[in-house]
Amino acid sequence: MPNLIIDGKQVEVPAGTTIIQAADKLGIDIPRYCYHPALPVSGNCRICMVEVEKQPKLQIACYTPVTDGMVVRTNSPKVLEVRKTILEFLLVNHPVDCPVCDQAGECKLQDYYMEHGQYDSRLGDVKVKKEKKAFAIGPTVMLDQERCILCTRCVRFADNITETHEFGVFSRGDHSQLDVYPGRQLDNNYSGNVVDICPVGALTDTDFRFKCRVWYLAKTKSVCPGCSMGCNITVEWDKMRPHQHKKARVMRLKPRHNPDVNDYWICDKGRYNYRFIDENRIQHPQHNNDIISWDQAIDTIVSVLKPLKDSKRMDRVGALPSASLTNEDLFIIRKLFTDTLKGARVDFKVPEKPGDTDAFLIKADKNPNRAGALKILPSDMDAAQIVQKATQGEIDLLYVFGHDLVKLFGKETVQQIAKSVKLFVFQGSNVNETCSFAHLNLPSSVYAEKEGTFTNCQGRVQRIWPAFMPLAESKGDWEIVSMLSAKLGSPCAYKNSQEIFDSIAATIPAFFEMNYEKISDRGMVLKAPEF
Amino acid sequence: MFTAEYKQELDKITHKYEQKRAALLPLLHSVQEKEGLITPQTEQNLAEYLEVPVVHVHEVVSFYHLFHQKRIGKCHFSVCQTTACALRGAEEIIEHIQERLKIKPGETTSDGKFSFGIVECLGACELAPMMQCNKEYKGFLSKKKIDELIEDNS
Amino acid sequence: MEKIVTRHFGLGNSHRLESYLKDNGYQAARKALTQMTGLQVIDEVKKSNLRGLGGAGFPTGTKWSFIPQANPKPKYLVINGDEGEPGTFKDKYIFELDPHALLEGIIITCYAIGSHKAYIYIRGEYIKSLERVQAAVDEAYKANYLGKGIMGTGFDIDVVVHPGAGAYICGEETALLESLEGKKGFPRLKPPFPAVVGLFGCPTVINNVETIACVPPIINKGAEWYAKLGSEKNGGNRLFCVSGHVNKPGVYELPNGTTLREIIYEHAGGIPNGRKLKAVIPGGISAPILTPDQLDVKMDFDSLKSIGSMAGSGGIIVMDDTTDMVWAAMVAARFFAHESCGQCSPCREGSGWVYRNIKRLYHGHARPHDLKNLPGIVNNIGGNTICAFGDAVTMSVGSYVTKFRSEFEAKVNKEYAESHH
Repeated sequence: MPNLIIDGKQVEVPAGTTIIQAADKLGIDIPRYCYHPALPVSGNCRICMVEVEKQPKLQIACYTPVTDGMVVRTNSPKVLEVRKTILEFLLVNHPVDCPVCDQAGECKLQDYYMEHGQYDSRLGDVKVKKEKKAFAIGPTVMLDQERCILCTRCVRFADNITETHEFGVFSRGDHSQLDVYPGRQLDNNYSGNVVDICPVGALTDTDFRFKCRVWYLAKTKSVCPGCSMGCNITVEWDKMRPHQHKKARVMRLKPRHNPDVNDYWICDKGRYNYRFIDENRIQHPQHNNDIISWDQAIDTIVSVLKPLKDSKRMDRVGALPSASLTNEDLFIIRKLFTDTLKGARVDFKVPEKPGDTDAFLIKADKNPNRAGALKILPSDMDAAQIVQKATQGEIDLLYVFGHDLVKLFGKETVQQIAKSVKLFVFQGSNVNETCSFAHLNLPSSVYAEKEGTFTNCQGRVQRIWPAFMPLAESKGDWEIVSMLSAKLGSPCAYKNSQEIFDSIAATIPAFFEMNYEKISDRGMVLKAPEF
Repeated sequence: MFTAEYKQELDKITHKYEQKRAALLPLLHSVQEKEGLITPQTEQNLAEYLEVPVVHVHEVVSFYHLFHQKRIGKCHFSVCQTTACALRGAEEIIEHIQERLKIKPGETTSDGKFSFGIVECLGACELAPMMQCNKEYKGFLSKKKIDELIEDNS
Repeated sequence: MEKIVTRHFGLGNSHRLESYLKDNGYQAARKALTQMTGLQVIDEVKKSNLRGLGGAGFPTGTKWSFIPQANPKPKYLVINGDEGEPGTFKDKYIFELDPHALLEGIIITCYAIGSHKAYIYIRGEYIKSLERVQAAVDEAYKANYLGKGIMGTGFDIDVVVHPGAGAYICGEETALLESLEGKKGFPRLKPPFPAVVGLFGCPTVINNVETIACVPPIINKGAEWYAKLGSEKNGGNRLFCVSGHVNKPGVYELPNGTTLREIIYEHAGGIPNGRKLKAVIPGGISAPILTPDQLDVKMDFDSLKSIGSMAGSGGIIVMDDTTDMVWAAMVAARFFAHESCGQCSPCREGSGWVYRNIKRLYHGHARPHDLKNLPGIVNNIGGNTICAFGDAVTMSVGSYVTKFRSEFEAKVNKEYAESHH
């Protein structure tokens, strides 16, 4: 394997590695616009030029393969001078819209200019005008042709990743214009990704337009709960100005790089599915229509549960956990409903219709944690049967975790449950039709407010981190179940989700030898034959 | 979609190339010869026939100056303005054409008879100042020659 | 002087096969195919010191030897007939007046490099050339000089005539390949070079029209004979194109190494209206401009390089003393701005910027610092681009600013500067 020196630091890389990749490995960030690790090399921006010993001309780092014994300098005076030059050229026709451009604060033109730019401008000319400014090229993306530096990342994305071929560069010279085919729109399932890869503000997100300046955003690592793919994401939320945006905290989601799961990408559905974090939340415990305290809520459940437990009639308890809960949530549910309340009817496998799927990131199973649920709550029971029994008066306590039973079984069935069951409990984060039928509504937190893990369709256990505190009076799902367990006389000893996970790892073979540290932000695959 | 017979005609050109896409430029010339310009429908037909994404066909049409997306005049002047022709009076020729035809470069006369464009070197510097009039090169231009050409093509 | 490439020009119907056959037509091809190996042909061309006549002057035989014979992929020969370099018009004459010479050269070259398929890329504006060459190809196929088992030798060869569509950049060899493949003329990143990865990903030789037209005479009369003509490392004659302020603009076949002075004054009739020479472009617009004190330079690749210019395409454009050099620089800058393909940032933005800058200077709207900045801006393009177009902008436009600085300075409008600070 070739061994080379970059800026005095040695690195060994496989043959065929380019200088920019070797530098990335060393943590040396060579400026780049057109280069993107997931796209074919284009070599047109020229800003990654570096000095290679024994070569008279500077070489572009994105395209030059390393050789054994190569000596590279990425910050020599020649290199710094050429960076100024390239930046100057890129700014000749750039409209400098910064005050009104969403990219400001995460713009590579701004960033590299501050670091390497010329500062004393010599531009004294009229700039080339282009046709489309602030133009919607589809439902999710806005195009500003004058801001475009023609790096062609979007063209290569549409040609090679989605293979939908929306983008082209038309005309030539400094009149070149990036555009979609006249009359066509950018509306594939991954359209939002072009905004991520655009280094400047030429392609911007319509959903995020003018919403929030990026320097107000805090970023928390998480995993998309939209389907079993478990694409890694960053939840980006406004930490500085919570009074804006009608009190919404989350401003956007961005994909997080994971070469084993979603690489650099996320589907549009996942990307834009964040509003439920702040909108339409169940905010307080409610008994029928009255807001009550948590203590009162827990007591209400205990008043029905304790007699059943004492009289050993656990068969009259039904619980429908969800494959959208974390492994930690599910483990505490297991501890209560299948251990402490042994005999209760517990099953998470509600009859959901599989959703859309594709050959890339979209999975038909719209739950993020079925693989985890199968390992933590194995059962040969059937959720539909439990619901059936509930309509027939054979269930005294039906405890539903998040499912919209009206959607799954129909309004009449749910009405029947509400009539036939002594206590119909709904524990969930967002209001749905079932809530108006449930006797007791318990507000739980959303994934973005939780610490925990999901297990994706690859059997990969991935961590999620809480961005902020649960909204209003909502609490984490396992915290609520813990409270219930304690009031029933079987307190859970866990202080945090990490302790729960350690217990899972000690109890369930597929999770053996796992812990949060090892999982880190990349995930770990279960030890199970099917993965 | 191209008709089956037209496709057969195009096949004769396409079959000369090891890769279908390579026939794009000659096919664009062929269609333009027939129809006078390249329309979005043509682009889509060619895209389908050559199995090339239509956006990349449009890139080609917009990149090369010989492909017209708007109809040009029955008689089209492409006047050279590069060094040798410029040295021998191209600027006056261009001004004279504008004056006589009352159109600017890139425009067509309202009766559709004339249009003109300014181009770079046509490879006929020995005939400077010169232009391409439809398919023919016309050199040693003068105001008088321009007047004659306009007269002949009116 | 013995005429080589122009030997048939002026003969009636010289473009026809029957005319070509009257003068040893296709005998060199027969000789190569029946008496020589491919390697021997390459050696012969190497020894002749034939160098690429499209502009780069690369030794032709050496270029052919880069084709990896062991590579199992088909090999291609591509003839660069894009002839877009301002000041150049010689290949047009070969196309129109002696296309069979080109075809014979193609046969020999294909044989030498192991290719059975040649494409002749002709710029789209050359309608007559396209027609004449296609007609010659048709004649050659009919008479079995092209096609299967030509001339009874068993050698198969196909030739396709392919039109360009109006883009100077397609004269750059990798941009030409892109154009031939049905795409925009965007030059490719190098390496790999076309000899290894060229047309359709296969080993390819790209040569200029005139270069290939020289091959049959070299095979017929021998490399030694050819090398003796011309200069030490630059064998043979070449077609010089003379235009601009001269009495007899046209194509002149002369030995490599003829002086510029001789070409302009003895052959092209000198400067009309009793005017004096002020400046001259020696090798197409990309070549740095020369001044009257440099007229005794020998017109060959090495001599012109040594005085800081280039032999390029052989396009000589003469400017008399009525020429405003700022205006001439503007015309050149405008050409480059219009022909930049736009792929890479220094050339795309820089060529337009340089043109607008010089245009302002010419029209009297420039301030002192505009001129101060101009050389720096011009110099920043070359050396930083994907292809040599960027280098051409720097060298060509830069040469006007360097050599005629005082004219640029005179254009700086001090009044304008004061009122438009």
